[in-house]
Amino acid sequence: MKDSGAPASLVVRIAVLGLALVFVQIGVISEVPVLGVSVDVSPLLVADVGLLCGSTLGALTGFAVGLLVDLMLVQTLGLSSLVFTVIGYWAGRLRELRDPQAALTPLLVGGAAVATATVGYSLFEFLLGVDAPVSLELLRQMVLEVVLDTLLALPMWLLVRRVLYPSLPDDPRRRRRRAYTTGGLSPLSRT
Amino acid sequence: MYDKTVRRRRAVLVLLVALSLILLTAYFREAPGGGLHSVQRGFLTVISPIQDGANKALKPVRDLFGWVGDTLHAKGQRDELRKQVERLQAELIARQGDERSYAELLKLFHLDGQISAADYTPVSATVVAKSPSLWYQTVTIDAGTARGVRLEDPVINGEGLVGKVTLASSDAAVVSLITDSEVGVSAMVNSTGVSGIVQPKVGDPNDLLLQYLPTRPIPNPGDYVVTAGTVAGKGESLFPRGIPIGQVSSIDENSPYREVNVHPLANLHNLDVVQVLTTVPGSRAARLASAVASLPPASSGGGEAATPAGQLASAGGGG
Repeated sequence: MKDSGAPASLVVRIAVLGLALVFVQIGVISEVPVLGVSVDVSPLLVADVGLLCGSTLGALTGFAVGLLVDLMLVQTLGLSSLVFTVIGYWAGRLRELRDPQAALTPLLVGGAAVATATVGYSLFEFLLGVDAPVSLELLRQMVLEVVLDTLLALPMWLLVRRVLYPSLPDDPRRRRRRAYTTGGLSPLSRT
Repeated sequence: MYDKTVRRRRAVLVLLVALSLILLTAYFREAPGGGLHSVQRGFLTVISPIQDGANKALKPVRDLFGWVGDTLHAKGQRDELRKQVERLQAELIARQGDERSYAELLKLFHLDGQISAADYTPVSATVVAKSPSLWYQTVTIDAGTARGVRLEDPVINGEGLVGKVTLASSDAAVVSLITDSEVGVSAMVNSTGVSGIVQPKVGDPNDLLLQYLPTRPIPNPGDYVVTAGTVAGKGESLFPRGIPIGQVSSIDENSPYREVNVHPLANLHNLDVVQVLTTVPGSRAARLASAVASLPPASSGGGEAATPAGQLASAGGGG
């Protein structure tokens, strides 16, 4: 998909999905701790949107989701927006530059997104003056959070793709697949 | 065309990052009553009914997950609780006589006017949102100033102390849990009466540390830690005396001050219904709270964290 002229239906779908997931995250997922930590699907959502829709929409989604999270949870305004903007942009650029096709790509991108969010948050909190040394327990919790979130990367990818797919314009990947399966459009067949 | 797309993409990134940094800086530098904080409070007011509705709609899902977790732990907990009940029954019988004598002595020496949780008006509220971040130990509840909730009001549940109100709008409030880095509670070891300050354990967001204790007597693992009914300085909440906070899990002998690790009694990961201890204007508890608010700053100048227990300003004294 090109970034210019994103279809309105796609933007609406992203907005509805973002709102619904943030509500579910805050109202349900955060309140069900697993091994003492709360799972956070917001970075996964942003990374998946970037991976499907490109860097501009990824960054915009990251900013909006981050702002919503900070407003709803009365956290330091701008912190989640900054971290999620970077994640959305990076995931989008990865798709635009490399167009990774492997089935495990969403898992790896999700893992990297969650790790970036966790480390980014921590770095900013230290910069903003939270009085907490880097302890083994803190590192254990951060690693555990990254691992648990990464386990949800594939289901999240399937959900986000299912919701956004009908509104995605034909992208190079889909054109290429159709070209090879129809038999007449492959560059090899023309020779 | 390509150049235009690239330029626009980069411009969007720069704009969003700059906007985030401006928000971050402005929010961090402004006072709690500033514009951005007001916007956040306004947003909370608008969103709280939706959050409340979503919370009720999603409760079955949350309960299902909670049920799975609870079932896994139920058997072990049952056996442990049976042993505890047997031990406590024997203790209760032994203490009943002491309690009667104690109450008579308090009356005799006019010491029975101490402020306790019973002097407050509890307002029940449901937790409608919780931060997933390790760095924000806060929850949002569906009761606000319209129901008498004020800043700094203590928040409890059936198990013990939960935290204090740090932001209140008309229909919702944000509660900073006792494991939040901004919360400190004057506390005492229930068995010995020695007091110190309970703060989150740095580096372990789920545990607490009881600090600034005298060298003797040494608390024992298993001892209960309760609120002391005092404050360490200006800006600290006055928690009524005797609210259970946690149980001593271990003691750090190597620390320059004696540091006692305390495990919170309230299950802060799975909060559903809590009670905000509000004060009726004009009541004894309200007068005491306003007196505490007018206390001078702690003489150490380093805030409550640097205030030794010896400088605690007693605010729960009776009579």
